[in-house]
Amino acid sequence: MTRPARRLAVALTFVLASALLAAGCGTAAPQTPQQSGPAAPPAPSLDTALVNAAGTWAVTVMGGSAARHNNFWQLFIRPPGSTHWRLVTPPGTADNGGLILASSPQSLISAFRPSQYLTFTPLTESRNGGQAWSALSPVTAALAAAPDALAMDPASGRLLALLASGTAVQAAPGYRSWITLIRQRALAATPPGRHCALQALTALSFTASGMPLVGGACARPGIAGIFASVRGTWQATGPAVPAALVRLNITVLRLTRTPDQSVALLQAGRGAAASLLAAWSAGSGGHWTLSSPLPLHGAALTSASFGPSGSAAIMMTGNRGETVAGAGSRWIALPALPAGTATLASGPGGAMSALAVHGATLTVWQTSPGGASWTKAQTLTVPIQYGSSG
Amino acid sequence: MPGMNTGLNATDPAVIAAFKAVLLHQGLIALLIFGTLGLAWVSVRAWLPAAGKGTGTEARAPGPAVAEPAWRLLLRTGFGILWLLDGILQAQPQMAIGLPSQVIQPTAASSPSWVQHVVNWAGTSWSYHPLQAGAAAVWIQAGIGIWMLAAVRGPLSRLAGLASAAWGLVVWVFGESFGGIFAPGLTWLFGAPGAVLLYVVAGALIALPERSWRSPRIGRLTLAGTGLFLIVMAVLQAWPGRGFWQGTAHGQPGTLAGMTQAMAPTPQPHFLSGWVSAFTGFDEVHGFAVNLFAVAALAVIGAVFLSGQPRLIRPAVIAFTVLCLADWVLIEDIGVFGGLGTDPNSMIPMALLATAGYLALARAPAPAAEPARAAEPRVNLAGRLRAAAMPRSVAAASIRSVVSAWAIGVIILGAAPMAAAQASPVADPILAEAVGGSSAPANYPAPTFSLTDQHGRNVTLASLQGKVILLTFLDDTCTVDCPLEAQELRLAGQLLGAQAHDVELVAINANPVNYQLGYIRAFDQQERLTSIPNWLYLTGSPAQLRRIWAGYGVTAQIEPAGSMIGHDEVAFLIDQNGHVRQELNFNPGPGTAATKSSFAAELAAAARQLLEHA
Repeated sequence: MTRPARRLAVALTFVLASALLAAGCGTAAPQTPQQSGPAAPPAPSLDTALVNAAGTWAVTVMGGSAARHNNFWQLFIRPPGSTHWRLVTPPGTADNGGLILASSPQSLISAFRPSQYLTFTPLTESRNGGQAWSALSPVTAALAAAPDALAMDPASGRLLALLASGTAVQAAPGYRSWITLIRQRALAATPPGRHCALQALTALSFTASGMPLVGGACARPGIAGIFASVRGTWQATGPAVPAALVRLNITVLRLTRTPDQSVALLQAGRGAAASLLAAWSAGSGGHWTLSSPLPLHGAALTSASFGPSGSAAIMMTGNRGETVAGAGSRWIALPALPAGTATLASGPGGAMSALAVHGATLTVWQTSPGGASWTKAQTLTVPIQYGSSG
Repeated sequence: MPGMNTGLNATDPAVIAAFKAVLLHQGLIALLIFGTLGLAWVSVRAWLPAAGKGTGTEARAPGPAVAEPAWRLLLRTGFGILWLLDGILQAQPQMAIGLPSQVIQPTAASSPSWVQHVVNWAGTSWSYHPLQAGAAAVWIQAGIGIWMLAAVRGPLSRLAGLASAAWGLVVWVFGESFGGIFAPGLTWLFGAPGAVLLYVVAGALIALPERSWRSPRIGRLTLAGTGLFLIVMAVLQAWPGRGFWQGTAHGQPGTLAGMTQAMAPTPQPHFLSGWVSAFTGFDEVHGFAVNLFAVAALAVIGAVFLSGQPRLIRPAVIAFTVLCLADWVLIEDIGVFGGLGTDPNSMIPMALLATAGYLALARAPAPAAEPARAAEPRVNLAGRLRAAAMPRSVAAASIRSVVSAWAIGVIILGAAPMAAAQASPVADPILAEAVGGSSAPANYPAPTFSLTDQHGRNVTLASLQGKVILLTFLDDTCTVDCPLEAQELRLAGQLLGAQAHDVELVAINANPVNYQLGYIRAFDQQERLTSIPNWLYLTGSPAQLRRIWAGYGVTAQIEPAGSMIGHDEVAFLIDQNGHVRQELNFNPGPGTAATKSSFAAELAAAARQLLEHA
């Protein structure tokens, strides 16, 4: 072999050996490249509970299958005065994409988030505690994966829907025609949107006086992005956060209303420094009362639900649960949550239910105010139709 | 890799019968080509006896003649037989459906996603046309094998080498996922760098010009390349943390024992299974020693091959051949067992390549037995193919050339239908038949209906009289099958072309809960059906719908706990007089990617038949 040929052979040997070693020895899974730009805001799951005149409603995913399309969302109700939950999942539509609820005192509307090849959002309504359901005209796009992506104004019956595209749409009763309320980009371009440096829309609601409320995540620290449409003009109506949190980004995690007030759950900061705040506002949402910040200590919020009179219950990773009774109350830690708890639901007299899911079985655990442990109250087996959607 | 999985059973009798029929049909054509070529050759030789006399040799390079060297003879015949065997293995009845899901997909599963993406493209193409693809693989591989065996020298022989290299590369990339070289767990013991890559190397060596036959450089390079590869493999084999040093770990077999343990129970002769099991047991107990031996053997043999010393290489080649044979039997399980075997794996080609390298290094080519006919002017291949020279060329051709030409014909016979099938975006209707069974012929008056279409207009069966109707039942909020079925109807309309004017594509709502017009319209928008002029999606009150379902024998029931409506998936072909003429099972099956367009082809063919017989 000539000298250049030998040199070439040595170089080729090195390249080949390096490539083979790199290919053969690398057993770690390829890492997802770090996203540049802002991280996605935190978001609670669709597992939640709410209360209206028909009772306490809870929605959770069941099935326990590794194939996501084989897990179906189930709706349960506990009528007023009863201690037992009943399965009232609306029939006739696959709900493996998730159920999102909106309520008024008289009715509950459930939206089926689309899954697999479905791209629009069927709606159904019950006015008798889930005993019968009537299909409503669908939303012709996919709803965002947020528990407050659907909201109803009890007085007018108007619906607001937050689409996966980041657009808020509204419809009058009959719901045949959906018109754009505001797009995320358009809201971000308004003076209050620019002030908050709006990143994303996360929740929708109405004020007690029937004004649409839009919650979002702000990139500017210390701003709680809650906006109200007042006579066609968008105004910032979020609370001022305590001085200790003004350097943190605020995300509106949940936004709902009770008969006489709006309730919001806010997260300040991310990771180990994150805290939760509950906020209550009567009337048009101009003045808010804030709870004390609840440090998350590195945990992440997994589910949040609302009870009567503006109470809230939250679940975090690490089997932690906390409740807050309403404006002016403090956070109270719950006993360590039972394994498999998917969501919490407020009960009469401040009692709390933990709905735990194992496959197709729902176990309801109960604790009284100030209780130190959970008591098993009920077990329900749901006839999941595995394989029916895929 | 969803595109590859048709969801069909590889032993589906409809597909197997069709695959056998295609092979038989093409086999008869291959025999016919052989007969025609032979007859033409014999006739021309009889017609031009002078041209035939004293010929029988192929085009030669200028200069003194050399006989084909031993190394080339070994590669040509060895790999020719291997290709022929691979072609026969491709003719296994389950191969048409089974190759993508049982061979390609599992091979690619541990490779990086970009490899899976590349492989999925090819696997999906195969899945759409399994019969043509399966038959193409049979004839191309058998053809290459015959060609290599028949063509001893000259351009035809070199072209055979190139064909082997080219097709080998295709198989290595798409069939073997680049021989798994990008996947973790790469080991020589189990076939790295992929058997077919060795076919590519052998093909490239066979394609070398005759002037290169005289030099021992080929042998040196072949052995040095093999040696380098073996040393890299030895390093990989010795690399800590890959599990080869342990016979068992945490009570489970180590990497090598785990591999062989999985092979032992597969269908194969009992004695072979016993040997593999025995080796597994031995490795579990002496894992460290087995790996030490493998590492040392690979490193030492590799180093000897790299050294280029003929005195050392001879015993090294013998040792390497023994090692390859031991690995082939005890670890690779002869390659063809353990599922749908497509080739005898890497050890035989590896041993052939090393032995050829040794022969090229050690033995100079012998002079040709027959002296070159220097007096005759040399005619190149283009000259021989000129129309005027053709009869003389044919008469002068040897039987080997005729067989080579036939082998090329066999390759084209396999490749052409596959290429034609690839040009069609529609999957083979055999998939629909395999999923839904054969359609049932019928002749009865279609149950009448009066429903509302997506535009709010009333539509009755009578109003559609004079047209062929493709009718089915779709749930407007179904998440899986109904959107696919709607696309099948849409595609059927496209396939009908101008004839679609005389066909109505009709779906009746199968959801008694979401029966409002808003749902029908949302479904149409979702499936891009709003601009199809002959598309009708009909709905009505639950009572009306139930009556029509009953008339057509269709059940639709509300399932509990958040499931979609369960309903029959059936299509009816209704003639211009309102008679049901065919009932087709319309369920797209568990694997929908490759099957969806096959239903469209079936529906379009059925509609076309009615239109043409009207």
